[in-house]
Formats: sequence, C-alpha cells, structure tokens
Amino acid sequence: MSASMLLLLSYILLAIFVLAFVIRSVKLARLPVHLRWELSPVPHEKGKGHYGGSYLEEVDWWTKPREKDHMAEAVYMAKEIVFLKALFEHNRKLWWLSFPFHFGLYLLVVAGGLLVMGGLLSLVGVDMAGWGVMGAGLTLLAGAGYALGAFGAVGLFFVRLTDDNLRNSTAPATFVNLLVLLAMFVTGLWAALTVTGFTGHVMGFAGGLLRASVPAELPGILAAHFVFAFLFLAYLPFTQMMHFVAKYFTYHKVRWDDEPVTAGSKLDLELKKLLNQTVTWAAPHVRADGKKTWVDVAMDSGRPEEAKK
Amino acid sequence: MSDKVHVTEQKSGKKRKVWGKDMARRELKVVDPIGPDDLFPLPPPYDKVEEQPGWKELSEDAKANATCSLDGIATTKLPNPQTPEEEQKYVDQFVEGLKKLLSKENNWEFLQPLTLSIEYCVGCQTCADACHVFLATDKKKEIYRPTYRSDVFRKLVKKYVSPGGKLLAPFTGADIDLNWDTITRLYELAYRCNLCRRCAQTCPIGVDNGLIAHEIRKLFSQELGWAPRELHEKGTVLQLEVGSSTGMNPVVVKDNVEFIDEDMQDVTGFSADSPFDKEGADVLLIHNAGEMLAWPENPGAFAIILNAAGIDWTLSSAEVGYDGVNYGLFYDDVQLARIALTHNTIADKLGVKKMIMGECGHQHKALVTVADRVLGGAAIPRESFLPFLEEIVFSGKIEFDPSKNDFPVTLHDPCNIVRNLGIVEPQRRILRYLCPQFREMTPHGADNYCCGGGSGFAVMSPYNFTDWRINVGSRVKFKQVLDAFADQPGPEVKKYLCAPCSNCKGQLRDMLQYYGALDKSGITYGGLVELIVNAMVDIKEPFIHWEMH
Repeated sequence: MSASMLLLLSYILLAIFVLAFVIRSVKLARLPVHLRWELSPVPHEKGKGHYGGSYLEEVDWWTKPREKDHMAEAVYMAKEIVFLKALFEHNRKLWWLSFPFHFGLYLLVVAGGLLVMGGLLSLVGVDMAGWGVMGAGLTLLAGAGYALGAFGAVGLFFVRLTDDNLRNSTAPATFVNLLVLLAMFVTGLWAALTVTGFTGHVMGFAGGLLRASVPAELPGILAAHFVFAFLFLAYLPFTQMMHFVAKYFTYHKVRWDDEPVTAGSKLDLELKKLLNQTVTWAAPHVRADGKKTWVDVAMDSGRPEEAKK
Repeated sequence: MSDKVHVTEQKSGKKRKVWGKDMARRELKVVDPIGPDDLFPLPPPYDKVEEQPGWKELSEDAKANATCSLDGIATTKLPNPQTPEEEQKYVDQFVEGLKKLLSKENNWEFLQPLTLSIEYCVGCQTCADACHVFLATDKKKEIYRPTYRSDVFRKLVKKYVSPGGKLLAPFTGADIDLNWDTITRLYELAYRCNLCRRCAQTCPIGVDNGLIAHEIRKLFSQELGWAPRELHEKGTVLQLEVGSSTGMNPVVVKDNVEFIDEDMQDVTGFSADSPFDKEGADVLLIHNAGEMLAWPENPGAFAIILNAAGIDWTLSSAEVGYDGVNYGLFYDDVQLARIALTHNTIADKLGVKKMIMGECGHQHKALVTVADRVLGGAAIPRESFLPFLEEIVFSGKIEFDPSKNDFPVTLHDPCNIVRNLGIVEPQRRILRYLCPQFREMTPHGADNYCCGGGSGFAVMSPYNFTDWRINVGSRVKFKQVLDAFADQPGPEVKKYLCAPCSNCKGQLRDMLQYYGALDKSGITYGGLVELIVNAMVDIKEPFIHWEMH
C-alpha cells in the first residue's frame, strides 16, 4: 500500500470512529431521565456506602443535608475500571483472561498517547524517540500491551467457543470483535519485536498524519498494524465494545442515581415535560386514546365508570 | 444442532442443549421441563424427595387452557387463537409493543436503563452465579439463566426492530423467529424471575436482567393486556376499584382493625387503638392490607408500639389509603402510577407530615423511590418503618427486656428494602439489641438472596406454580435459613425467622409449611414488630407463638 493510500485510509477510518463514537455517546447521554432504579451499594453514600446503606436509613431524611462521598465513588470506579473488580469477585475464571485483555488495551492507550505526543513534538523539532530510554521504554510498554491483549483475545476466543456457559450467549459478532482485536495485537507485537526504531516510526507516522504527509519508508508490518488499528477504531462504535462508555451511564445514571425530586428543581421541570408526552399503549386498561398524556393516563383512577366519560 | 437431531433427542429422553431459538420451535411441546430431580439436594432431614409433598400434575383442562410450553409450569390463561391469522395479530401487537418500549414517548420511565441493558451485555455470565433460580437447578436449566431471557428479548429487538435487523441477523446472532410460541413462552419466562436484581448487582457492565424481565412484563401488560390475574384483575384493578387487593372496602377494614385492636389490648394489656383519618397527624401509617387478614398481630403490634411511644399517627380509611400494596411495580407502570398517586393524594388531604411504609418491601420500593419521579417535588415525604422504629426503640420511651427474646433469630433481608433502597442497618441495630441470639444468614444485607416470592410470586398460586415458587424460587433461601440455625438444628429449640415484609412472609410461610420445618426444625417466622412487642417489659403474655400461622 502506498503512503498516500495509507494516509487516506487512516483519515477515513479515524473520521468514522470520531463521528460514530460521538453520535452513539451523545445518543446515550440524551436518553430521558428515568424513574429511580438505584441499586445497593451506592458508594457515594457517606459512611454507609461500604455496607450498602443509603440516606433512606435516616429518620426524616428529606430534612437533612445530603453528604456525598465523591472520593469513595471515584475509588470504586477506579478499581472497577483498572482491575475489573466485579469480574474478579464474581467470575474469577474469566477474569484471568479478561483482565490481561483489558489491561493490555489500557497499556496500549497509554503508549499510544505518548507516541502521538511524540509525533506532535516532532512537528516542532523535538525528537522524543531519541530521549535515552524513552524509545525502549515505549516499545516495552506497547509490546507488553500487545502481548497481554493477544493472550486475552486468544483465551477469550477459545473459552467462548468451548465453554457451554458462554457459548449460548456469544454472538458471531463477538468472535469477529475478538478477531479484529487479535489482528491488531498480533501485528503490533510483531512490529514491536522486529522493526528497528519502532517508536521513531510510530511517532513519525503520527506526526505525518498531523501534517498530511506519511513517511514513504514505513515498514510493511507496521503499515499493516496501522490499518488493523484504524479498522478496529472505526468498527468499535458499532459494537458492544462501547461498553466502556455505557458503563458510565449504567453506574452513575442508573445504579447510583438516587436523587430525590425536590419542588421546582431542574429534575422536577424535566419530569413535567416527560409526563406531558402522549401515550399510545394499546391495552384496554391503559385507556390511551392517542391524545392523552402520561399525566392524563396516570390520573385516571382505573375505575370502570371513568371509561364511559 | 439440526432440527432432526433435536427432535430425536427429545423423543429419546436424552438431555439436549437448550438454545434461545428453541423458544420459537413449535415441535417442542415444552422447551425445558422442570421437576424435582432437576434441583440441588437439600440437607437432611429435607433430602428425601419422596418424603416431600410432590409436584402437582397439571389437569387436562389446565394443559388445554393455560400456557405451559416453557417448562411445564402454568401461571396464566392466555388467549387461545384459533387461526394463524389470529396468532399473527398477537405477534404484530407484540412487535408494536417492542417499538413502544423503545420509544421516549411511551417508555421514558425506563428507556435509558433498558437501552443500556439491551445493547451492552457482553455475555460474561457473571450474573448466572448470582441468580437463586438458576442456582436452584444446580446451574443446569438454561432457560433460568438470567441472560437466556434477556438474549431472547435482545435478539427479537435486533431482528424485528433495529434497522437492517434481518439482514444482519447471522452476524448479530439474532436467530429467533417471532411466532405465537415465541411470545407466549417469553411471557411465561418473564414470570420465572423474581426481579430481585441480584444479577445486576454483580454485572461488571451494569446490565440489569431483572429490568429486562420487568420490561417484558410491561410490554405484555400495557400493549396486549396480558398479566397474571393475581397481579392485575385481583391486584391493581381490584385495589383501584374497591380499595385493596384483598377485596376489603373501607367499612370492612375499619371493622377488622377495631377487632384486631381489641384482641391485642386483651392479650397485651397495652392500648392498641388505631386512629383513622386523623387530620394533621404527624404520621400516616400505611400497611400492606394483607397483614390485617393473614397476620393481624402485625398491625396490632404497630399500634401498641406507636401508642406506647406517644406518636401522633393515623391510618386512612379512604379507598387505597389503607393498602400499601402496589403490584404495578411488578408489571405495569400505569397501574403503579395510579396507585402511588392515590396514596399521595390521600396523605395530602389528611395533611400529615409523612407517610410511613409498613412491613412491606415492594410498597417501600414503589412509593419511596420508583414513584418519586411520578409524584414530583411537592409530594408528601415517604419513610420506611425501619428507621422510624429504630428511633422509637432507642428513644427510651419504651422499656425492653431482651431476655424475653432469648431464642435463635435470623433475619431475611427483603430485596426491595435492602438491595433496592439501601436500608440495611436500622433493623440490625434493633435485632442486636433485642435478640441475644440473633445471627446473620450467609450472604446477607445487600447481598441477600430473594425469598422466592418477589415480584408478585408470593400471591400467585395458579395451577402448579406453587410447586415451582417453593421448590425452585425458595430453594436457596431455605438452605440459607437451615444453615443459619445449623448449630441447633432440632425441633426442640424454637427458632424465629424474621422477615419484615408481607410478601416475603407469605412466601416463607408457604416454604416452611411445605417442608414441615416447624415440626422438623422448630422454625417459625414473623415480622420485626412482633419481636419488639415481645421484648416489652410490661407485656402480659408472650407475644410470639410457636406455631405456623
């Protein structure tokens, strides 16, 4: 593949990634506020979160100031994101594969970030790849990420294929997801092990992307790796692998959303708008006629005589 | 597996692997039959299946009229379409319901959590080990796996609602056809989950299979008008029409409470007068009206405690106001809202400062949290009886002698109060103070297991469903109870299983009776207020009776 083709492909795939990622994330964020559905433990409950308690344990709770322990919430989330705490506690067998898989990705995000930064700096004449141990360190970091990721992906692929517990709920798409990632990990690892000046090449490519000019002498395996990496990025927003974004909402906006409504609050006003939407459920007891709002339907006592009115 | 192999294996009785697409297979009379041999063995003396009551055989009439093609268990009589066109009409209605469930206008109430749960499950099966129903079958019954139901639903959404769904089906795995069998089996499957949300608690992503079961129930109720009779006609509809799902109208309630008050006063020597409709009272106490009929000592004990502590309280005799039950929580948001709004209107008219939820878990969840965003910011505040009682018990207004409760006591945590509302410690502080032999179950608190009666099952006993809810639904709980009392297993030591929730009590009563646990192990059950009154210094006679009631 020529340098210009690689450049064009990279731009297209990156654009798809950014666009689809933003659209899907915004769609999730814009879903309407829902009825309360919190689930214990809620770590921000100060002094109570550790045993699953909440402010509802207090007499006259609505008269007391609500103290939220944001640090406890952050620590809980950090353990969950970095160490996959829930999987470690409740599904240890799978954790041994899933943890290296995810941790490998985290290492690659860090290494990738540093490499892109190196690319940026190269534009202003700073050669980060030449900074003593930096080049070797970044190669090691990325190599470890590729190796852990590849180990996890292969393990997850086979365990999903062979374990009866997992097979039934594994869609063909999940195998494709793992193969796409595996291709990225394997080509990356191969490149990190075989390409001399790996970090310099990657930084050069990143810098080239920024100034729309990719070095022509990019090694083949590295070019293949970039193609797989960008393919993965472009594919990511269309898959359930977006769960890293969804997780923010499932935890913060569902499990831990224990905000009570207070008169005149922003939440109160938002709910009033939602309650004024038209309901079209068809079951007879709902008595929706295509014109009634949620409020109309809920204020109907459900008695037979009201149906005749 | 090919169709041919599938059917052959079923005929030969050989165990076959159950897949999601089996839900649509007309040639399967039952997708995955359940029976006593499919369950993990209980410890002695409950280990002999032949000594237990046995499972009820479905009558021919039931087989013909009730829907029971999922696991051989029947809960509901559904419409009986006579032609393929009629069947298709229901299937089309179901698809319409799916679309409404995924629309902001018709389902703003749960659209965000539902969307997240549909789109982001990675199928890691962490939830499977958390589900007491799946565990009861030794993790062998695929249809009870929390993800089985969700995957079927998810695949139907992908195939029949998502753009390009049929085209992408081989890739997304959406391999389930939609037909009459699929929808009726999915309906049945929605009523094999207690909605306890223990699975959601362990999910690394935060996917909620309990919510999906809830939403499936809602689709069927709000679009097709399908719901168990006990929850709908005999539940929310009766409550809104007459005043209570027990069928009691205001006159009957007042008579019953008066009788209970007199009886309690005779037994205890304490004032058990229950004021009705006292305007401007500090507290409106709302019981689950089932207590007045099944466990009258419970409202009686409340009256004794509140009067002894000098609380300014009242009951309501307005229709719905004397029954905190709200089965809408389990299957229908419209019915949920109607009942919750009525409760709030009654409290508002009385001008009380707060509503206190009696010993009823789902009443707590419905009125305190779930309906909070329907009632709005101007609603009358709602509070659990647990912190309310804790304050009374430790206020010094009542004198207690904990030695009166010197028998083994364990606590069942109602999911709707503990896991869903985070009210964990007040009840424990009371029990640690008043019950010298209090011991915890394992696990407990927010990690508890459901009693098996959650989501309305405790009041559902049609056809052979009781066999299922006791043997499958309560199996893990029964094992937990036995383990909690394992240091004194014999019937000579009387033990108390404290369950501060009406529906849990109903389920646990049926469970203990089914196994003969009072005779074999000396275990009875009751609420929390009974233990509090039993420990009162000046009470004349023991308030707790070692009998099955």
